[in-house]
Amino acid sequence: MEDFNPVTMFAILRESLGPWLWGLLLIALVLVVGVVSAAMKLRSARRSPKHPIIAAALAGGVATAIFFMLVPGWTMATHAALNGPVDYLAAILIAFIPGGGIAAMVFSMASWRCARRTTAVCDKSMA
Amino acid sequence: MNRRRFLLTGAALAAVNGIALSNVRAATSSAKARIVIAGAGAAGLALASRLRRQMPQAAITVIDQKTAHHFQPGFTLVGAGLWSPDDVTFRNADFMPSGADWITEAVAEFDPDSNTVATSSGRRVPYDFLFVATGLALDYERIEGMDRSLIGTNGIASIYANPPAAAASFRAIDAFVDQGGVGLFGRPTTEMKCAGAPLKVTFITDDLARRKGRRSAVKLVYNAHNPTVFSVPPVHDRVTQMFAARDIAVNFSHVLKAIDPGAKRATYETPEGVVTFDYDFIHVVPPMRAPDAVMNSPLPWQHGPLATDGWVEAEKATLRHPRYANVFAVGDIAGVPRGKTAASVKWQVPVVVDNLVAETSGKEPLATYNGYTSCPMVTAYGKAMLIEFDYNGNLTPSFPFISPLDELWVSWLIEEKGLKGAYRAMLRGLA
Repeated sequence: MEDFNPVTMFAILRESLGPWLWGLLLIALVLVVGVVSAAMKLRSARRSPKHPIIAAALAGGVATAIFFMLVPGWTMATHAALNGPVDYLAAILIAFIPGGGIAAMVFSMASWRCARRTTAVCDKSMA
Repeated sequence: MNRRRFLLTGAALAAVNGIALSNVRAATSSAKARIVIAGAGAAGLALASRLRRQMPQAAITVIDQKTAHHFQPGFTLVGAGLWSPDDVTFRNADFMPSGADWITEAVAEFDPDSNTVATSSGRRVPYDFLFVATGLALDYERIEGMDRSLIGTNGIASIYANPPAAAASFRAIDAFVDQGGVGLFGRPTTEMKCAGAPLKVTFITDDLARRKGRRSAVKLVYNAHNPTVFSVPPVHDRVTQMFAARDIAVNFSHVLKAIDPGAKRATYETPEGVVTFDYDFIHVVPPMRAPDAVMNSPLPWQHGPLATDGWVEAEKATLRHPRYANVFAVGDIAGVPRGKTAASVKWQVPVVVDNLVAETSGKEPLATYNGYTSCPMVTAYGKAMLIEFDYNGNLTPSFPFISPLDELWVSWLIEEKGLKGAYRAMLRGLA
């Protein structure tokens, strides 16, 4: 495994994904910027992040579960092919990539919404 | 975290990352050597890419008439009906490093005594260092009655010949499963590339028949060329156990000698004499040997088990020719035990390049190759065993969390999604 250094891993990803890699990296960058700016907005508005985090966790969890069902098909296999704990772990980790993206998106949107106005779901300000 | 701590942390991470990247940067040599690489397959292109980067002032010449490049580890998935021939076909031009001189002619002759290689047009190319990476020749004609044009007809399959043949092989497998009957599998007695592939095709045929509810209509027989189905004892034991569980019969020490496509009859040599089996389907794996240009040169082994088929004489650990010190053999053509896979190339190329860089820089060449090779043994649609081993037959798993003898989806994931990207990165000298 010592051979899997960052340069090698990036080269393999680039060859595997082709131009899609740059699109995915752009999406990841947008999501990171979205999460950071939303968190800063919440902080400046002195709002609690509790409800955006709960919303993000729920959405991310559901999305991860859905993608977990889809992952074997992406490899031209079925769920019957999952044959051990390492298989389930790998499938969950792969599903977590889109699931995490959706969680980040929901967190950003919920945080901006909470920061902009007082609503029933995010009416508690930070102490 | 305040802004100052954030910036400091970022700077520290960047520094650590920089150190990590500097550790993976390879040594270089400023030698102005003339290097000839015979062959632009997996080994030839990976060599050219690494040498271009690590010996920037060397004159690198690649000789190969082929312009198409085939990702041969993917032939099994074409033969399984999952990939198309286009999925395993690249262009050599896309991987040829800039600055390398590519002569699109076949190698006609090696003359290591005068340090030259002759091409098919008669051009003589001199060298200071020669890398023989021609790959091997598929010798279908050594099986009496067999011809590669028969693949896809008369129940004959062979995924080795080329991508269209692998696709035709799937159609033959599919038709056999639908029609039922006896299916024969096996391998030649010669050294061969990807020795796991004949087993993979057997497993795939079994699984396809089960998925179609046709398993009881087909009888599958694996004819092993010697007393084992795989040269690594724990893998032999595991595959034998799996064959028994899946009702796949095994005949040991059966070598395909002839086929009669019209009568659908296969003849095998055995220790007890010649035996003949009727078949409805047969997966033919051709005997393999060195290409003519290598066979007719002084480069092959002069005696021993690797001499018959013309494999280039090479020291196991360094792949250097013992009689011609400026000649190296890499990939399928290398006369070393095992090691005829893309995974072997991935580990062989850095060894020979690092040693040449050291040697031309006045340092001692210390890199060694331990015979590492890998076979993601597909055992069903969606499952594989990630088998890796060395010269001594020791299992050498790269991932501690993946058991090499367990049928796992994660091993299939590596085969189906990971290998092609890793292979392409290897061709660019980046993996």
